[in-house]
Amino acid sequence: MLPNVGVMNLFKRAWWRLTGHLGKTLMLIGLFFVICTLVLSGFLIRSAAARAADDAKQRVGAVVTMQLDLNALISSGKEEASSGPVAGRLGENADLHRSLVDEICTSSVVAQCNYTTDSGAFPTRSTRLYQPVPPPGDAPGADLFSADGVRDLNAVGEFKAGDSALITGRGITADSASDEIVVEERLAKENKLEVGDRVELKVGQIPPPGEKPDETEYTFEVVGIYRNNTADTGTYVPALTHPANQLYLTPDGASLLLGKGKGSKDGKGGDGVVNQATFTLKDPADLERLRKDATEAGADLEIFPLSVNDKQYRTLVGPINETAGFATVTAWLVAVAGTAILALLVASSLRERRKELGILLSLGEKKPRLLGQHLVEITACSVVAIGLAGACGPLLSQAVGDRLLAGEVSSAQEEAAGRGPERDPSDPLGGMKEEEDVDPIDSLAIRLGPADIGKVGATGLGIAALATLVPGSRILRLNPRDLLTKGD
Amino acid sequence: MSEHPAEPLLELSGLTRTYQSGSRRRVVLKDVSHRFEAGRMYAVVGPSGSGKTTLLSLASGLDAPTGGTVRFRGRDMAELGRGRYRNRHAATVFQSLNLLTYMTALQNVTSAMEITGVKGPRRRRRAAELLDLLGIEAADRNRRTLRLSGGQQQRVAIARALACEVDILFADEPTGALDQVTAAGIIEVFRKLAHDDGKCVIVVTHSKEVADASDEVLHLRRGRLVSRT
Repeated sequence: MLPNVGVMNLFKRAWWRLTGHLGKTLMLIGLFFVICTLVLSGFLIRSAAARAADDAKQRVGAVVTMQLDLNALISSGKEEASSGPVAGRLGENADLHRSLVDEICTSSVVAQCNYTTDSGAFPTRSTRLYQPVPPPGDAPGADLFSADGVRDLNAVGEFKAGDSALITGRGITADSASDEIVVEERLAKENKLEVGDRVELKVGQIPPPGEKPDETEYTFEVVGIYRNNTADTGTYVPALTHPANQLYLTPDGASLLLGKGKGSKDGKGGDGVVNQATFTLKDPADLERLRKDATEAGADLEIFPLSVNDKQYRTLVGPINETAGFATVTAWLVAVAGTAILALLVASSLRERRKELGILLSLGEKKPRLLGQHLVEITACSVVAIGLAGACGPLLSQAVGDRLLAGEVSSAQEEAAGRGPERDPSDPLGGMKEEEDVDPIDSLAIRLGPADIGKVGATGLGIAALATLVPGSRILRLNPRDLLTKGD
Repeated sequence: MSEHPAEPLLELSGLTRTYQSGSRRRVVLKDVSHRFEAGRMYAVVGPSGSGKTTLLSLASGLDAPTGGTVRFRGRDMAELGRGRYRNRHAATVFQSLNLLTYMTALQNVTSAMEITGVKGPRRRRRAAELLDLLGIEAADRNRRTLRLSGGQQQRVAIARALACEVDILFADEPTGALDQVTAAGIIEVFRKLAHDDGKCVIVVTHSKEVADASDEVLHLRRGRLVSRT
């Protein structure tokens, strides 16, 4: 079907007008080009930042930590006052039980989970500390083993980093029994231990003043021996900090050494306690679902909050988000200001063209077609400008984005340097969290895709439509005679 | 028996036009009635400010009356639609040179033909013939109208009006910018258009020659139709 002659005429007129007033046409294209390029740059910087933020979330934001928030426990009044922190011991409500964590681990959103129980153990007559250099003076018996309950020995930082490695036997896994233990090679030699031997250890808790120490001894079977690469220094080192005195057990076994065995159902620490549990989510967006599942499992999330590794994420994406925010605001301001400028320009051009509109109306041209002609003219200019912006926008946004981001990264680093580490909420002594340092994202990967062109195209054409239709509809309310006679 | 047995092509009844300027109300045309027939040439004369151009604007559908009616072939203009009336039935040659300056002479004419729905693939040839008839040489047809002389522009405007193949041709001082010879030629074109082609031609003029060539002359004074000769 052939297009309507009147409609074709509209396009012809638009073309004649654009080529007949080439200077004005180029000016309009130039203005549109500036607007579209700035808007496109804003979009590109924003989408590059969003991509970087998503990547960062995948990297650090997916690990959720669950641990005691001491302040929340005290605020809740659930700590037992008679044996509260002042007395040096917290009540049962401060215990995060392994069985609860195991149940949360079964949540469909959890890809992997781990937990640890930090404990200590006093030596016994049959199991001595490794102390190559004896302590100065007479202060025997104050040193103790460090006994960490782990769910998976391979997930322990020392082992992951290669500083420690199993040399014989097997490690601790989720299936290990609560009386299994892995010891360091030097300690094994000191005590003539081999895989399959049994060791006796005493509860490693220093009692509150006035109370007798817990002298209970527990027996563990050596299932593995590992080697730590840190050599002896030849000087006295407190036994607790010597790597050879680091024992690895199951969380249930470590709980026994925390003195929690007596309270357990089986008296053998069958449902031990954990200090910290970490859940690796399949999708960072599933945090709310994990919270729901944890609550359903019976966790009190006020006292044991689930927190994403937020600090690292904030450090990573803080500057890039600031840059994206600035770019977004700029894009909006340019779009609004551009619409206003173009509307004024078109309104002024329409005033100049009143006579032309009057002539066409006197010939019986329909008002929508007159507006259509203007729209075609502005759209043609905007399409050329959008094409040019598509070619120049990525270069500009890369340059501007990098410069803005460099400034933001520099400010963020200065700010971070002035801030200390965050407090560990589970530490009654107010210790600081140990966290891996991360550097903020300092580069933008600007990519121009069809969606970006689509967005800037829609914005450009929207601006063109608004800038034409608003002033145009006002002018066209006049009748042809007014258009032909007024404003001459 | 009626004074005008044939149905008029255009009928003005009690036509009034007032303008409001603040609290002041100015009556420009008052109670004008007349019937215009096909095949005749009319001249509307009168002193400046007598309402001639206003009458032409109302009759050609460029403006709406504040009182009275304009009927085309018995149909009220309000019902017919002024836009449609201008598009299909009436064409106007203005006093000032109302051409689209970004187009050539030929484009002005063909574009108007397309807008008014003149059918046929030979629009371009017809436009060239009309421009030729009005003395626009071939070399000037493809020049932007801004580069043509005042007289040439007026003739292009007339060619554009003629090209629209309408029933009524309105012209506001069409010979004002033309020399005597060209003016005489234009008057002849108008007469032929009325008498040979059966169109109704209504010309607002101060020119005695145009008035003399017309079949009927309407005299306006202070917005009123005072006589018909």
